Amino acid sequence: MKHPETSFIFLLTAVIILMVTVLPCGAASLRILYVNDFHGFAESHKRIGSDELQGGIAHCAFRAAELRKEKPSLLLAAGDMIQGDTWANLFAGRSSIDVMNEMGFDAMVVGNHEFDFGKAVLARRIEEAKFPVLAANVTGFDPLKPYVIREIDGLKIAIIGVVTEETPSATHPSNVAGLQFLPVTKTVERYVTELRDKVDLIVVLSHIGYNADMALASAVKGIDVIVGGHSHTKAVKEIMVGNTIIVQAYEHVLALGVLDLTVEDGRITSVSDRLENIAPATVKKDEKVAAIVENYACQVRQSMEKVIGEATLDLNADNARSSESNLGNLVADIIKKESGAEAAIINGGGLRTSILKGPVTVGNIYSVLPFNNYIIAIRLTGQQIKDALEYGLSGIEAKEGRFPQVSGIYFTFSPTRETGRRVGTITIGGGPVELSRQYTVATNDFLAAGGDGYQMFREAIRQASDFEIIGGTIKSSNIAYNDAGRWLRDVVAAEVQKEKKIGSAVEGRIRTEGE
Amino acid sequence: MKIFINDREIHLAPGMTVRHAIIAAGFTREIDAGEKVFDEWGNEVGLDGAVSENYRLYVEVKKAR
Repeated sequence: MKHPETSFIFLLTAVIILMVTVLPCGAASLRILYVNDFHGFAESHKRIGSDELQGGIAHCAFRAAELRKEKPSLLLAAGDMIQGDTWANLFAGRSSIDVMNEMGFDAMVVGNHEFDFGKAVLARRIEEAKFPVLAANVTGFDPLKPYVIREIDGLKIAIIGVVTEETPSATHPSNVAGLQFLPVTKTVERYVTELRDKVDLIVVLSHIGYNADMALASAVKGIDVIVGGHSHTKAVKEIMVGNTIIVQAYEHVLALGVLDLTVEDGRITSVSDRLENIAPATVKKDEKVAAIVENYACQVRQSMEKVIGEATLDLNADNARSSESNLGNLVADIIKKESGAEAAIINGGGLRTSILKGPVTVGNIYSVLPFNNYIIAIRLTGQQIKDALEYGLSGIEAKEGRFPQVSGIYFTFSPTRETGRRVGTITIGGGPVELSRQYTVATNDFLAAGGDGYQMFREAIRQASDFEIIGGTIKSSNIAYNDAGRWLRDVVAAEVQKEKKIGSAVEGRIRTEGE
Repeated sequence: MKIFINDREIHLAPGMTVRHAIIAAGFTREIDAGEKVFDEWGNEVGLDGAVSENYRLYVEVKKAR
């Protein structure tokens, strides 16, 4: 039998050796757990090219809790948490905040998409959050704080939030009315100067993108760590720019970032960073978070069955790749109305199914428009509109998806003429098209990016006479409307709900010559 | 905004993402087939990731790290 005193002395000695080995005298350890660009992807899902379920906020929560038990820790979110997937959008981000509260986040920076539901909604979300929501470079919005100081294991840590200056260019203007987005570098410089002597560590929680994080670290001395987001970068290991550590953890909680630091006399003396993949097959789930996720998911499923209007006739997508479609007219009309454009052009192939006469549910609209597309309006010349229509008609024989559905435009065509010469007369706003005049034309972001082979919208952006880059953002009067934060299907669903009865007719917007 | 994808110049509107760059450059088929997008530092990037002026992206058949 062992002597109890000997065992105690042995144990004590082992503990002392362990303490001396793990941390030098006066050293402190800190673990920063981080995620970014969650976008409300709460449920595990399969990714393109993979059959495995990945992600899942309940699994991320379980692993974060495990890791927090090991060391003094901070849990940080680098923006774009409340908007994106229907699980978040349907509740204007409330579901994301509920989950984040349960997980015990220490701080979050707003991303550009946090503004997508408007200032009033964002103020409510911030009020509900049990953690500070930061943005030092946004003025005119009191709920946002520039920074927060946390004390962890004797270390004082300042966390400064910054969001991309480009936010106003990609959301509805009303969402950011009265707000100013100040230059990131100058803002961070100011706060680093103010806080450097008051804290042991300065962490910038940024939503400006990986390259911009590197530029920031080069420009401003005194930042210890940048935890970034916005570019959805899977930075599997930290990088150093000067003395600044930069990390980012991909997107949609497919990964959890784990940054371990040792700090001695206000200096970081050791760094270890990794991304841990989050997947149901390898990580258990936090049951409380899982219950919140399921509660909201259940509401999403129920909402899809909600009747929001009535179709007074069949709305047909079957013919949308070869002729005027009344469903195409409905969607194009809504796009034109929402953006205030003079005309709209969409691709018939973007209408994925028909709506039968009778009650219309949210799910019906989502089935017609299943993609995450948004509305953008661009100024095109009459010639560019003609070119777009010619291009749209060029695949009519094979019923290609690029066939145009239009609003505010009437045109004739001959399907038998050679491609590029099929369009006959074009009328816009009641008068014949003027080839050299500019018109505001709304479309979806897919076509604007050149999807289905359309090049005219992108060319119009590039060719603008006032095209210039200011602070990394394109400035062009050719972009008349750009709301990247609201999906087209949600705009259409809202309009159907407002109108109650929908019954767009085929009215001769697109006519075959000789008819 | 001007970016490069596999060294080809692409112009996008503000707010557009890696996904739009893929569409613009005609790489949607490759992505559907499982190819990944990487930044100039070799990091994989998500399709909804923001892009910025002179950003360089590469579509590659490379096992994601």
